[in-house]
Amino acid sequence: MLILQILLNAIVLGSLYACIAAGFSLVWGVLNVINLMHGSFIVLGSYLAWGAYKALGVAPWTSLLIAAPVFFILGYGIQRGVLNRVIAAPVLVTLTLTFGLDLILNNAMLVAFKADYRQLVLDPSLGSLSVGSLVVPVDRIVAMIFSLLLTLALFFVLRRSRVGRAIVAVRMDRDAARLMGVDVPSIYATAFGLGTAMAGCAGVLLAMIFPISPIASGSYLGKAFVVCVLGGLGSVPGAVVGGLFLAIVESFGSLVLGPENAVTLSFGLLIVFLIVRPQGLLGKRGFE
Amino acid sequence: MAEVLVLEKVSRRFGGVQALQGVSLSVGSGEVLGLIGPNGAGKTTLVNVVTGVRSASAGRVLFEGRNITRLQPFQTARIGLARTFQIVQPFPDLTVLDNVAAAALFSQRGTRLSEAREFAAEQLEFVGLGQFAAKSAHTLTLAMRKRLELAKAVAMKPKLLFLDEVNAGLNASEVDHAMVLIRQIAKRGITIVLIEHLMKVVLTVCSRIVVLQNGALIADGTPQDIVNDRRVVEAYLGKKYAQLSAARG
Repeated sequence: MLILQILLNAIVLGSLYACIAAGFSLVWGVLNVINLMHGSFIVLGSYLAWGAYKALGVAPWTSLLIAAPVFFILGYGIQRGVLNRVIAAPVLVTLTLTFGLDLILNNAMLVAFKADYRQLVLDPSLGSLSVGSLVVPVDRIVAMIFSLLLTLALFFVLRRSRVGRAIVAVRMDRDAARLMGVDVPSIYATAFGLGTAMAGCAGVLLAMIFPISPIASGSYLGKAFVVCVLGGLGSVPGAVVGGLFLAIVESFGSLVLGPENAVTLSFGLLIVFLIVRPQGLLGKRGFE
Repeated sequence: MAEVLVLEKVSRRFGGVQALQGVSLSVGSGEVLGLIGPNGAGKTTLVNVVTGVRSASAGRVLFEGRNITRLQPFQTARIGLARTFQIVQPFPDLTVLDNVAAAALFSQRGTRLSEAREFAAEQLEFVGLGQFAAKSAHTLTLAMRKRLELAKAVAMKPKLLFLDEVNAGLNASEVDHAMVLIRQIAKRGITIVLIEHLMKVVLTVCSRIVVLQNGALIADGTPQDIVNDRRVVEAYLGKKYAQLSAARG
């Protein structure tokens, strides 16, 4: 029964990992930008949920409706105003730029919110569901459902919409796409906006489960990295598979080796994958 | 005949190389214009400047009377300028159908994916690639990729179409098929600028021919004028041969 309980927890955690990684993977895959701000965007999303609940009593799932457009506009603006200027430069340049922007954003959050851990505690609590001896808190199930819905929404935006197909086309061949009438700088900004919106929304959902602090941004970024490499870079299904896989390995790994070794295990796995299967589990090249 | 495209003293310089020097040219609506010249004459640069891939160092480009000199490539694509590439470049991982659908989808605002696919399927039938619609684009042979380029260009519903060496590397029967397609495209009312090395194609398909050499326009006339023009013969075959053939009368 313990194994089933751990598996259940891992699935909940894995769907959140998928949500964290999908936006990161999109930006990396389409723009070839490793966005080091991703973790801080997640934390900022958590603060948004926390603030909205604390001050106005807005439930986190309602905050998603605010977070998605706000973070999209934030990301769109950053790409249009800053990143697009150096997008053609080698990856180290954009990496350094996002690193610098992350320092600004993260330290601004430290100044604004302090490094104290805060917790969004729903009142009244949603309680927990139990089937037999399996127990899951309802807030975790809610977070899982919304993260899966968001990931699915991103998948369908990329698959079915005009803008999604333009993103895929730009990823495959930027020059050919622009000669067909794709406004490449605007598509870059849209892709970055979508990635940022996914990060912000993931942060809102994570606020229901984990304590909030600017210090957490590095660990979220690390998860996004590992999930992308495990699942295969640049695909939404890859993020889902990678997220679930990482969560399962971490959960069972902490059972066997102790929870203090979970992070070591996940980064060890990252190294193994980079050597043995660098294209990831799904290993698709096109963003589908 | 109304003028679709007008170039006014267009120049383009790459460092010390003057790739285009003061080229003035007009293309009439519905015309099939041949653009010829030796390698490095500036033919592709001319197309690049008109479609916005490269900017002009000097001069103006007018399309349907509107100044498009400073437009970006995606903007020229949306107002009705399409081109094929000398080196064919499909999206390799997309199906043949989706390659064409992408062209239809992005070149016109407000097109839906399903409409784009439908229109794309018609264009594939038109170029004779209907049976390969579901295949991945990288599986096509060179001749088929050239036809795919044609289908993509036509799917953009262009008013003016640049065909850059669509026959290079094709065998005789494939060239004949391509010529039929070009004629049919022209019949749709699409103005065509044909960049071509095969004189057989240029002389049969084009109603007018212009010749570029070292970035400058050296001749403009009917196919008959062009084959008899001494400077053109010089440009292609060298001065000696031109003198010889002139002496022979």
